Amino acid sequence: MRVVIAEDNALLREGLVLLLTSAGHEVVAVAGSGPEVLPALLEHRPDVAVLDVRMPPGFRDEGLRAALEAREKIPGLPVLVLSQYVEESYAAELLGVGASGVGYLLKDRIGRVDEFLDALDRVAAGGTALDPEVVTELLTRRRNSPLDSLTPREREVLKLMAEGHDNTTIAKTLVVTERAVSKHIGNVFLKLSLPPSDSGHRRVLAVLAYLQNV
Amino acid sequence: MRATLRQAGRATLQLVISAAMAFGSYIFVTVLLITAILTVTVVGAFMLPETVLLIRRIAGAKRQQAGAWTGRKIPEAYQPLNGTVRERLRTAVRDPSTLTDFRWMVAYYAYGALPVLMLPLWPLGLVVDGVWCGLVRREAVVLPLISRLADLDAEWSTALLKPSPKAQLAVRVEELVQTRAGAIAAHGAELRRIERDLHDGTQARLVSLSMRIGLAKRAYDQDPAAARRMLDEAQTLAEEALTDLRHVVRAIHPPILTDRGLVGAVRALAASSALGVAVTVDGLTDGHDGPRAPAAVEAAAYFVIAESLTNAAKYSGADRAEVHLARARTGLRVQVRDEGRGGAGGPSQAIGSGGEAGGSGLLGMQRRVAALDGSVTVTSPVGGPTVIEVELPCVW
Repeated sequence: MRVVIAEDNALLREGLVLLLTSAGHEVVAVAGSGPEVLPALLEHRPDVAVLDVRMPPGFRDEGLRAALEAREKIPGLPVLVLSQYVEESYAAELLGVGASGVGYLLKDRIGRVDEFLDALDRVAAGGTALDPEVVTELLTRRRNSPLDSLTPREREVLKLMAEGHDNTTIAKTLVVTERAVSKHIGNVFLKLSLPPSDSGHRRVLAVLAYLQNV
Repeated sequence: MRATLRQAGRATLQLVISAAMAFGSYIFVTVLLITAILTVTVVGAFMLPETVLLIRRIAGAKRQQAGAWTGRKIPEAYQPLNGTVRERLRTAVRDPSTLTDFRWMVAYYAYGALPVLMLPLWPLGLVVDGVWCGLVRREAVVLPLISRLADLDAEWSTALLKPSPKAQLAVRVEELVQTRAGAIAAHGAELRRIERDLHDGTQARLVSLSMRIGLAKRAYDQDPAAARRMLDEAQTLAEEALTDLRHVVRAIHPPILTDRGLVGAVRALAASSALGVAVTVDGLTDGHDGPRAPAAVEAAAYFVIAESLTNAAKYSGADRAEVHLARARTGLRVQVRDEGRGGAGGPSQAIGSGGEAGGSGLLGMQRRVAALDGSVTVTSPVGGPTVIEVELPCVW
């Protein structure tokens, strides 16, 4: 895959380049500050962009703004946003411009190389990768919602689904059969009164939309 | 006529009390003179601070009485008398209010006799005004003079008992010394807490992580399986250290404040709250333009709001809350209000008890605000609503 990286910290930037090239990806451009991001993306049209939230010149949320702007200019451009900390409202902003091809992860997750590369693939393929911390926040914030009626196992399944995983990964993570996962998902959709949906990405979107609006 | 009589009656009561006080202070000034003489000898030195305290009490009573009549409160500006005898003595003598009080007391020797004038006014007034109002139907002239007497007594007392600007300044300085000492102590406690968090959490994990890597390197050739296990553990420790660090950073200065400013950060907080939270803003702007309070003030405000909303979500039973942020001339004002069942904190019970609903949270809130010379007011009657108001002084 052709990747554009936006990260101001040289140490992390080199690390990311090393990691991605060793995984067989091609890093076509690196941007070290907010204003450099959009031109680089417009010029190279990568398969996926990996962006840091906080970048020069303001060291605020330049990367996030660049991601939102880029997705306006290049509809459907897959972006994976990385940050030193996660903020639910940032996730909402990112998902607000369409949840397909969007990732939002803590930088810590890069350390789990296989999982990180898997998330990157998912985002590049139009899927979603949402940090477990964000999903936990989404799941725990409302009292007296239909979420309370879920069994612990159903909650686990919902959590993994919201993070953007497919049935196969969910089954593997929870050490159950895919049939069992399908059954749990069916129950979750029933309890939350969501319309039954195929196992594709639309299902993730339905779940995320639900969690954001509870 | 009836109203005039009633007014004259009230003035009479006022003047009678005033006369009683004057009589009391005549006796007292005599005692004072004796003390003054004794002070020259060493014996009186012990008595002087006590005497000053007594003068303050008498002057305080007069302030209250005069203030009640005019409806204008007369401020006090006393420096606290505490410490050793020598210190008390020094403060008692140096406090400009001592001189003010003493001057008043001497003056009161003279105008304390004012109430006596009312004695001839009553019979005269009843006769003259009785004829004047009752028969000629004109306005009363003599009885209102009694009210004028009480006015005069109160006016003179106000003028004489009003603390000098110097005394007010001295008291303000004293206050600032106290709050600054408190602020420095709170700041120190905060630094020690951060140091402890880093030392016990992050540092310990990093040491342990480095150890695991060292062990993995040793085991690398002979026992690859063990080496791999060590590396797994090392990774877990690295992740835990990062999580620790994130918590410490959040407690020092939440990153979203840097990204979005106070208003943006509070809106994000509101959006992620379990309650439906309405945020209203007065004098502040979203984003980075416009005035911003100092970072420490923003962080404290954010912390207070986060804590209040968490408490409200957990204990109040309300499903809505309101947050109001306002820029005032003297600083930042924050109000968090919910229509829940109330009974949270309260000045005496839950703050400090820790066990009560949200008590420890309120305590942490107070510490944090006190460190910035600010104030927290919690009003939460049983049955609600709970209102938490915070004032954070700052220049912006």
